[in-house]
Amino acid sequence: MAATTMTRTRRSSSTAGRRARMTGLYAVLVLILIVAVLPLLWALSSSFKPVAEIFVYPPKLWPTHGTLQNFTDLFKNVPFPRWLWTSLWVSILATALAVFFCSLGGYAFAKYHFPGQRVLFDIMFSSMMIPFAVILIPLFVEMAKIGWADTYVALIVPWVAPAFGIFMMRQFIIQAVPDQVIEAARIDGASEFGIFCRIVLPMVRPALGALAVWNFLNSYNSFLWPLVVLSSEEKFTLPLGLNSLVGTYSREYGLVMAGTILAAVPTILIFLALRKQLIEGLTVGSVKG
Amino acid sequence: MAETSTILRRPSGDRKSRTLPAGRTRQHSRLVPYLFVSPFYVLYVLFLLGPTVYAFWLSLHEWAGIGPSTWVGLSNYTRLFRDSSFHGAVTNTLWYVAASVLVVTPLALVIATALNTRGLRGRDMFRVGYFLPMVLSPVVVSLVFTIIFDQNFGLLNAVLRGLIGIKPVNWLGAPNWAKVAIVIVLIWRWTGYLVIYFLAGLQSVPRDLYEAADIDGAGAIGKFRSVTVPMLKPVTAFVAITVFIGAAQIFEEPFILTQGGPGESTMSVAYFIYRAAFEREDFGYAAAAGFLLFIVVFVLTRVLAHFFGIGREDH
Repeated sequence: MAATTMTRTRRSSSTAGRRARMTGLYAVLVLILIVAVLPLLWALSSSFKPVAEIFVYPPKLWPTHGTLQNFTDLFKNVPFPRWLWTSLWVSILATALAVFFCSLGGYAFAKYHFPGQRVLFDIMFSSMMIPFAVILIPLFVEMAKIGWADTYVALIVPWVAPAFGIFMMRQFIIQAVPDQVIEAARIDGASEFGIFCRIVLPMVRPALGALAVWNFLNSYNSFLWPLVVLSSEEKFTLPLGLNSLVGTYSREYGLVMAGTILAAVPTILIFLALRKQLIEGLTVGSVKG
Repeated sequence: MAETSTILRRPSGDRKSRTLPAGRTRQHSRLVPYLFVSPFYVLYVLFLLGPTVYAFWLSLHEWAGIGPSTWVGLSNYTRLFRDSSFHGAVTNTLWYVAASVLVVTPLALVIATALNTRGLRGRDMFRVGYFLPMVLSPVVVSLVFTIIFDQNFGLLNAVLRGLIGIKPVNWLGAPNWAKVAIVIVLIWRWTGYLVIYFLAGLQSVPRDLYEAADIDGAGAIGKFRSVTVPMLKPVTAFVAITVFIGAAQIFEEPFILTQGGPGESTMSVAYFIYRAAFEREDFGYAAAAGFLLFIVVFVLTRVLAHFFGIGREDH
């Protein structure tokens, strides 16, 4: 009798301990979540405030005199739609090409065996360790010499076959595409490129989504290269345009915040829609061999 | 641009060739695989290898961007070694790298371990929320933090005053605080990104390893040391190298938040290169700084990779 009571109390106190630990854990995790998301919410709330209200003490998360003025100004006084449009089509085009070239290259590394494969793969491996800041100046000079400076071609062409994308696709294709399927298609007389397009691509569709999101984010968010290579203001991409706002409208933070919020909308939407694929795609190379 | 670069495994060519059916290559032209990988190598030669070699050539010259260039030998390099601005940029970048590798990486590991707790609900919501900062453009992030760091009306000072009652900190206007401010942004932006790598790694660790450690009487710290750390070694390597390469080239945050200032107190190496070339028209000098950065990053990445045993196949 005494023994049963003891076990019972011990068990209940350990569940209580576990419950307390879990509550503490949730509290910490939620706090981190707030820290992660708050700056964005703060920008969102600021974008609906008149300038005078952004700079009040103590700061208010909810705007008292909510206004859409910042957003209308963004469309009336600033070429915001043009920046957005430029960024979108440049990133989409670059991404479409990158998805094609990366899956093609990843497929070759995953499923063919050819002399020099190891060396070629090592070259690609090492290429990811070249910091962009090194080639910034020579690449700019090169663009100027071949007449690509201040053109969108310079924003797209050098980045349409990123090494990380080829690596990511290789990892996926090794796992997702069995050799027998390719063999069977070969016996049926399909061409090598036909096998890639009609058999391999449909089988790795989730990976294509991951690669597309990853590439789109990189392209849409890139700043340093467009800053260097684009000189005429009417060609600016969104990050360049936002940066130029700070110089011209340094007092109008509402406008700047409205711009940053709208600029973030496409990336957040795409991320939320394809987050599972993106996260799996990014981690496949690092976790599984 | 190379934010998420790096690698863990190389192809195990030998093993694969053994499982290949004989005579397979005869069914198609031997050129096919080369054709398929060629786009990368064309771009590589034109826009990566070529420019890197050209960077070295440029670094031995004095050139204003237009007109003829003059051969100056290694004098750009000797000038860099004497240039206190460059020393400052290197020191600042080292701070950013150290903060990223020594703060962000362990922090992300701890958060991921917490997220991996058995029976935790809402894991996906946390994962997505934590990852969100990385989805935003560094320009957007820097602009948002400009108002958060405002000395008089910024959110951060208001929160600090409310919680611990300290006087407003001049985040962007005082040399040391400005460095801290940039480190805060780095931590905010990168931690959640690394969490997803660590969490994926943790989820692939078999549960029975922890149960075996339980039976051996290991506590939470013992399990962390004897199971989590060794099992996560490949992921940690990936993460450490990614963060290192990313932080070594930091540009947007100091460029937008502080314009490298006050003074030159937050200027990074990438910013130094940008300024030398495009504000001071000293292209050879900028190229020399870039080439030094390349050598340091390349050597240190190789050392890190060796230290973590990346690329060694038989282990």
